[in-house]
Amino acid sequence: MPQDQFLLMLALQRLTLTNFKNYASQSLEFSPRLNCLAGNNGMGKTNLLDAIYYLCMTKSHFNLPDTAIIRHNEGFLRLEGHFLRQEKKEKIVAKIQARKLKELERNGVAYEKLSEHIGLLPVVFIGPDDNALITEGSEDRRRFLDNTLCQVDQQYMNELILYNKVLQQRNALLKSLADNPSADSSLLDIYDDQLIDPAIYIVEQRVTFLQRFSAIFQSMHHYITQRQEEVSLVYQSQLLENDLGTLLAQNRQRDLYLQRTSAGIHKDDLVFNLGEHALKKFGSQGQLKSFLLALKLAQYEMLRQHKGLHPILLLDDLFDKLDEQRVTHLLKLLSEGEFGQIFITDTHQTRTELIAKQLGVEYQQFVVKDGVIG
Amino acid sequence: MNFSSKLLEEAVNAFASLPGIGKKTALRLVLHLCKGELENSETFANAILNMRRGIKSCSKCHNLSDEEVCVICRDQRREQGVICVVESIRDVMAIEDTGQFRGVYHVLGGVISPLEGVGPGELNIDSLVQRIQTGEVREIIMAISPTIEGETTIFFISKKLRDLPVQISTIARGVSFGGELEYADELTLGRSITARVPYRNVD
Ligand SMILES: [Zn+2]
Repeated sequence: MPQDQFLLMLALQRLTLTNFKNYASQSLEFSPRLNCLAGNNGMGKTNLLDAIYYLCMTKSHFNLPDTAIIRHNEGFLRLEGHFLRQEKKEKIVAKIQARKLKELERNGVAYEKLSEHIGLLPVVFIGPDDNALITEGSEDRRRFLDNTLCQVDQQYMNELILYNKVLQQRNALLKSLADNPSADSSLLDIYDDQLIDPAIYIVEQRVTFLQRFSAIFQSMHHYITQRQEEVSLVYQSQLLENDLGTLLAQNRQRDLYLQRTSAGIHKDDLVFNLGEHALKKFGSQGQLKSFLLALKLAQYEMLRQHKGLHPILLLDDLFDKLDEQRVTHLLKLLSEGEFGQIFITDTHQTRTELIAKQLGVEYQQFVVKDGVIG
Repeated sequence: MNFSSKLLEEAVNAFASLPGIGKKTALRLVLHLCKGELENSETFANAILNMRRGIKSCSKCHNLSDEEVCVICRDQRREQGVICVVESIRDVMAIEDTGQFRGVYHVLGGVISPLEGVGPGELNIDSLVQRIQTGEVREIIMAISPTIEGETTIFFISKKLRDLPVQISTIARGVSFGGELEYADELTLGRSITARVPYRNVD
């Protein structure tokens, strides 16, 4: 392997799960390229992907609280991952105990803040729940944006945490002012001021990011569909027109009445367009799927460019969602060597095997049955 | 837990009502007292009663005190014109242990956090403003934990003091106290008290 290939290298070599979801105790060795997890639905294939995601992002991909991912009737869980990152070994251990703060260790040293870990092990999860990006409200799209930006920019994450905490306090204050109107409302001015700096940074980063991201997204989309369909992402934010200080001042009475903050970056959205039209209203099922896949692959490419290494790619039930043509195009993309370590789940054992052979890459096959992997 | 004695049970429950003490520990402590001299238990109980009956909140700084005004506030060798603003009484003890600070204190009783039902009205902020309006205070040092809530509190107080001729400084940030002042080792804290920085102007 040439030197630059090593620098691009990120792979999970070994994973040990204890009391994670439906796994009691399991230890696995993975291929640095392609890993196929075959098994029927409900056997725990997706849970395994989630365990890998957890070690990269310190939380479940499915927004589950930590208490919900501990195996039924058990009091703790432990995940231990041995990664190889740019020729260096990284041992990551997550420990969760009921009624205790969770712990995350890197090479035996506990992180003071979990957020310090984000970005070390870039990861992209492509799964059936990606549909929510189109069908659900703006929160899901902001989360997608934030997920990518947090992995590439530590300061972005810190400003976002700061913004959200101040926002929570401001909303709590608005509630208490409604119960007790004679209380000191000058504290609202303080929170308004505290929101401004992080909001400015976040909007700037979102704008810059989306300029680059849109271009990558469009080329991914063309590649997948093999058509020159016009697709676009439009960033919407009240802060593009007005500064937050003015917006908060204008909305002060309304906020006091609603008991929550009605303007700010927590209202931002990302609009998906197909030509002139909104994707959500006018897109066919096939168009939606291509759009989502292109979004996620663009996320992958963006992370790869920023981090200088290939993110870990988790593909959940991909082949049940995509038609033959799209699968073929994706396979072509995968086999052209633009990817690092991949984990694929599939309900059909033979299909997965066939794919691996088609790709002509080193692969490891696992059969998942009832929380036990053979 | 099955008790043969009502008296035993009551004593165990009393101990177990304290923070950090479970039933087992409470039982061990009570059995220990049972075995010892009556006099020991009397001394123990009296210490608690005397403390609780006699303890006052200092009328100037809200530190705990035996008198109306605490020993720190009464000490004329200390600089009465320099006030160190802290969250809790434990912070006063931590800073006193460094031996690096010769001014006086003001205990807020917490930080502003509407999420936890703590607004400015729940804290000793008005009395701080009064102290500065009436006395000869030339500097206040904000020794508040570097959390978002701490930041809000400093910001809020600074704004209240905006028109008063007082210098506001904060203790140097980035020093290794893990969020809470009371865990700071004495050396670090002493250094940060002496290496304070002026707080940015509030407009
Ligand atoms: Zn005093």
